[in-house]
Amino acid sequence: MKPAPFFYERPRDLNAALAMLAANGSAKIIAGGQSLGPMLNLRLVQPELVVDISGLADLKRAEICGDELVLGALVTHADIEDGRTPDVTCGAMRGVAANIAYRAVRNRGTIGGSLSHADPAADWVSALAALGARLTLRSLAGARTLAIEAFVVGALESALQAGEIVEAIHVPARAGSAHWGYAKSCRKTGEFAHAIGAVLVDPAAATARIVIGAIDTPPIVVTDAGELFGGRVAADYKQRFDARVADILLVKAGIGDAVQRHIHVSVLKRAVHEAAA
Amino acid sequence: MRSERKFPSGGSGQGVGARLPRKEDDRLMRGRGQFVADIRVVGLQDVAFVRSPLAHARIRGIDVPERYRGNVFTAADISGVSPIRAISALPGFKISEQPMLASGKVRQVGELVAMCVAPTRAEAEDIAASVTLDLEELPAVYDMLKARDPGSALVHEHWGDNVFLETNYEVDISAALDAPIKVTREISTARQCMSPLEGRGVVASFDGRLDQLTLHSAAQMPHITRSGLAECLGMEEGRIRVISPDVGGGFGHKGILLPEEVCLSWLTMRCGHPVRWIEDRREHLVASSNCREHHYRITVYADRDGTLRGIDCEATVDSGAYSSYPFSACLEAAQVASILPGPYRMPAYRCRTFSVATNKCPILPYRGVARTGVCFALELMLDLVAAETGLEPGEVRLRNLVRPEQMPFDNITRKHFDSGDYPQAMRRALAAVDVAAVRAKQSQGEADGRRIGVGVSIYCEQAAHGTSVYAGWGIPMVPGHEQASARLTPDGGLELRVGVHSHGQGMETTLAQVAHEMLGIDVAKVRIILGDTAMTPYSTGTWGSRSMVMAGGAVAAACRELGERARRIGAKLLQHDPASVVLQNGEVRGVNGSVSLQAIAHTWYRRPQDLPADVDPGGLEVTQGYKPVRDSGTFSYAAHAAVVAVDPDVGEIEILDYVIVEDGGVLVNPMVVDGQIYGGLAQGIGTALYEEMPFDTSGQPLATTLADYLLPGATEVPTARLDHMETPSPYTQFGVKGIGEGGAIAPPAAIANAVNDALRPLGVEMMQSPITPRRVVEAVLAARAAERNAA
Amino acid sequence: MNSIALNVNRRAVEVLAEPRTSLADFVRDKLDLTGTHLGCEHGVCGACTVLLDGVPARSCITYAVACEGADITTIEGLDEDEVTVELRAAFTREHALQCGYCTPGMLVSARDLVLRLPDADERRIRVGLSGNLCRCTGYVGIVRAVQSVIETRRARNIAPQPGGGRTILGPAGSGWAAPGGNEQPLRPVRQEFAAASDGIAPAVIPDFTPATVLEQRFTLPYAPAKVFAMFDDIAGIAACLPGVSLTAPPSRERVEGAIRVRLGPIAAVFEGAARVERDPAKLSGRIVGIGTDRRSRSATQGEIRYRLLPIDDGTATAVELSIGYALTGMLAQVGRPGLVRDLARRLVADFADNLDRHMSGASPGQLAPAELSGWSIVSDILRARVARFFGRRGEPG
Repeated sequence: MKPAPFFYERPRDLNAALAMLAANGSAKIIAGGQSLGPMLNLRLVQPELVVDISGLADLKRAEICGDELVLGALVTHADIEDGRTPDVTCGAMRGVAANIAYRAVRNRGTIGGSLSHADPAADWVSALAALGARLTLRSLAGARTLAIEAFVVGALESALQAGEIVEAIHVPARAGSAHWGYAKSCRKTGEFAHAIGAVLVDPAAATARIVIGAIDTPPIVVTDAGELFGGRVAADYKQRFDARVADILLVKAGIGDAVQRHIHVSVLKRAVHEAAA
Repeated sequence: MRSERKFPSGGSGQGVGARLPRKEDDRLMRGRGQFVADIRVVGLQDVAFVRSPLAHARIRGIDVPERYRGNVFTAADISGVSPIRAISALPGFKISEQPMLASGKVRQVGELVAMCVAPTRAEAEDIAASVTLDLEELPAVYDMLKARDPGSALVHEHWGDNVFLETNYEVDISAALDAPIKVTREISTARQCMSPLEGRGVVASFDGRLDQLTLHSAAQMPHITRSGLAECLGMEEGRIRVISPDVGGGFGHKGILLPEEVCLSWLTMRCGHPVRWIEDRREHLVASSNCREHHYRITVYADRDGTLRGIDCEATVDSGAYSSYPFSACLEAAQVASILPGPYRMPAYRCRTFSVATNKCPILPYRGVARTGVCFALELMLDLVAAETGLEPGEVRLRNLVRPEQMPFDNITRKHFDSGDYPQAMRRALAAVDVAAVRAKQSQGEADGRRIGVGVSIYCEQAAHGTSVYAGWGIPMVPGHEQASARLTPDGGLELRVGVHSHGQGMETTLAQVAHEMLGIDVAKVRIILGDTAMTPYSTGTWGSRSMVMAGGAVAAACRELGERARRIGAKLLQHDPASVVLQNGEVRGVNGSVSLQAIAHTWYRRPQDLPADVDPGGLEVTQGYKPVRDSGTFSYAAHAAVVAVDPDVGEIEILDYVIVEDGGVLVNPMVVDGQIYGGLAQGIGTALYEEMPFDTSGQPLATTLADYLLPGATEVPTARLDHMETPSPYTQFGVKGIGEGGAIAPPAAIANAVNDALRPLGVEMMQSPITPRRVVEAVLAARAAERNAA
Repeated sequence: MNSIALNVNRRAVEVLAEPRTSLADFVRDKLDLTGTHLGCEHGVCGACTVLLDGVPARSCITYAVACEGADITTIEGLDEDEVTVELRAAFTREHALQCGYCTPGMLVSARDLVLRLPDADERRIRVGLSGNLCRCTGYVGIVRAVQSVIETRRARNIAPQPGGGRTILGPAGSGWAAPGGNEQPLRPVRQEFAAASDGIAPAVIPDFTPATVLEQRFTLPYAPAKVFAMFDDIAGIAACLPGVSLTAPPSRERVEGAIRVRLGPIAAVFEGAARVERDPAKLSGRIVGIGTDRRSRSATQGEIRYRLLPIDDGTATAVELSIGYALTGMLAQVGRPGLVRDLARRLVADFADNLDRHMSGASPGQLAPAELSGWSIVSDILRARVARFFGRRGEPG
């Protein structure tokens, strides 16, 4: 189980990396390699050129700008887990990071790489959507910013265009009054989630962001979540959580299998309960 | 509890019964073990195989790019090599021929079609990727039950059907038919991959000076591999040497002759340089041997007081495309018929079995062989009898288990139980999990919405069964006397050569303990030599939980004879009458003094002038054979009890408590036995909850990575509580019993029974392993829907 | 080949290796450090775990070239390591190894836990070890061994090190190299496959049973006869299938071509042929095809069945589409069929949408994207119109 041969380049800076991408249509970016590596080894992916951006210091920034946290794409799950990065989410991101795959994977796996892979079962796709994060994507033509929920468009399919990479993740500060709940169901520790529920509920502001993830298609992101709680988000949201509305959302997303829907709704309920706890 | 040690080594802490740390650990913990992939041979080239992407197809053509013609070999390049034929002499058995490389037809995904040689594996894979196969897909036989339908596609056309073997066994089933309780179900266990952490692997080379093929192979049975290779290659056995180095787990996976072994042997002789193939994980999951896929249609008859009246069963085992060497395609299914009644008494019994050929990998006996499936089927049924009668499940067992005063006991299939107290094991397990407390808790309900349940199961593990059992199967391998060679070295060390192998069982330590028991020699001075046909006595190898009974017995026999010879030499050196000296703690002792084994060895080798004239000319090197007094097998057993919590809405199952009460007779090294039980339990949990190789309707295997084929990790396995009983076998050296497989037999049944106990109030019954979250939720939703419809 | 310089077990080494050489193969094959074992080569089992800049990493999915300048410690380099010495004693005492194959990776992960965990909490230790599979021991001895070492070290007032001592951001092992790449840019050996027109298109297209069937229904404001005639235009139909290109002029009964599909980074080109059947009496028809992706040795069979029903007094047509497929080979064996189903679902959605537009008069050139990457734009619009949609297995479409 060895990869097909590939060329390897280590660009000196981000622009050089973008130029390499632009010049070679089949080039693949590698950072920590924790998603791409297995696919290369299995020969599911056979790029001509692998562009290793893991050395680019520009992408290893982690700083608070205004009321948001900006993380470079190369920040690893372990960086977040260990608190080497600042936090604006009152520990929510730390908790998510600590339960991604395994420690040895988290030491190399990056937040930007995970998002770029656009695996619906991956944690950041759902968690950051609930936290209301945005991404900066960069190509030689310039940068653009996209909400996470607009970024993942299908299974393993992101909005990244040819020659474009994820540069940074912008995470808004979590309001002091906001409750966070994150639940996932995996058949065993560290494996792909079969259902993810992520909720950010702010009863004080009467707002909520609700995400149903790991559904083989882009996660369902509900920004106006009143309907899920009987019409309004208030302090008693846990009691008012309406599983039937969540089920209808899943039906609308094309999840035809009632068993799968039941599991997703139940896991979402767990997340709601965790937030309210 | 365990009886006081009654062996002479008693106080030394090194003999039979000692929890001695293992001699093999140090090298393995420093990365100095030598597994097959670690072997370095000058001129070595790597091999990658072109394998069939289809389950069933006719080969119309194989296109090799011009520039790689010298690197690629197909069936057309090979002559004089016979296919692997693993025949059973049971009447009606149909023979399959597994070719070294496919020609004409492929019968499973992953079947070998061409081999590609290059300096590195990566380059060999590049070449393999360049080979184009022109295949005409044929309908695949993917379901063992449908495979018996008239008109099914045929795996082997000339058979006329897809049945390797059908067996029928009956003891007066009509006597059970009037029983007031009759429960019938279908029960099944999933197809699994044994998944040792190290896969198979072969390094083949040819030694011109010795005119000998040397095959390094990750194998449990090197002597059997050699015999099989000699048959396929048409070579004298003496021209083949099989060496099995450190082996990274076996569990049965390394107990067959592989077509890859035949290929590499042929290839090194053809190419003139050493060649290597290391099985990768995808090959292991997709292309290698599988196990465990059973289906039962079973009826249990009982009286209202829970007394078993009889069992009627039709069992089907998916044997895959080929009969594997040496165990054959029928061992597993045919074994079902003989072991299904287990340790239970019953007056009537009928079992019909089918070993069915499908377009899947060959099936292999995996830890526990058919016992895991059999235990699952029977123990789930007994819980249904309990539900019907209103008895506690434990009570139904206690009413029907063989009682200690009935030992030795011949059950309804004439299995000869050597010893044991099965009801006591069950009672201890029930007490340990405190069934009454679980019932009280259940009546209150859980705050988190989960449901808890308790389940039990019990089994017997027939081990080290020998000639009288295997002669009946008529397969290529029948174990006879197990032999060991013992040699005292000139400096007083002991070398032991045995033909079994060790792939985690700690034989380098436990056999040294046996030698210490016999000779009093420090285990640090005992070297165990295993895994090399050139250096060890012939043996069928390590399988069937036989190594400690058989090789342990052989080592004891060889050491006994060696000690006797040393004692006679020692008596002379002490100038005593031989009748008046004893061998004790590594010395020959008489009334006037003692002489060490080291001094005796020194005399034999270095100062023969001091030896008595009538010394045994065999000297200090002895080969002895051993068989238990009765070779129908030792019967170890255990009762397992599990307490689980089930989330009916997400389907997650947590094991809250797990108790094992085991009786393995006398334990040579209880620490090692505990390790075997804990490890077996982990694999049993895999069978119960995680492991499954699914196939689609075209015979495509669908779990090709360890992200899809889930092996239990540290968070999926609890620390079980172990309780030991000790009923020595009346037939074996020291009273030991084989125990290596047992841990993997009972967990699926105990866990499924616990899950069913938890979910029974919801009207849910899980009769299929593994019990996945999806299956649980599916069943819960179906039960809720049924309840709504009824209302 | 690249010249790769890094530090292994405190020794500087510089060795030639291909970019595709994993760090595990690098230490095993180039440096003969065979204590690092390969168990899965896709990052799950943990047998290959080594220390990379002092923290555990998977050496099977980390390429040696990406570790230029980094510090690597394999099990052989931990012979004298204080924590590992304690762990070895505990492992042998607690019988934490049997076959020993997972043990080097297990010790590397265990060492990291001993450094990081504040106390010997069993649950945290088990979670911490969950990335290292052991098939022999049931983990009992391993957990006990790690617990005992943590307990004794904390009792000796040795404080835990959060983060295992790492202070910088980014992937472990990264950031030490000077920019660069292939120093001798040899062209990798690539498989150049002949085009489908070279005669690999199958002469006979067999019937098959779809493993998955997706169904769609939509209406068109044209009379059934007109719609049926459009289905006769096989080139037009083909152009509606995203990623399809024809390799020979189609006849009424047969079409040869290729379909290019992409699932994230996985790309495949299935080359083959299709048979066209039609039943004017019933206003129905079927296109059944077979294709092979030689790179992944995968094959697909697919069929499109359609049936036209007059509605609105025959002025409009309800189109019932049923699209079934079966996949074999490596791509079929990707263990997460949900992802493939999502791909197929999007493919069908695009096809139906394109068909609709084609029949409405748009030219094929305007609508058939070269690849599937554009599907998402239309799929949302279409989803709203899907009357019924489900997958089922093992039944004829």
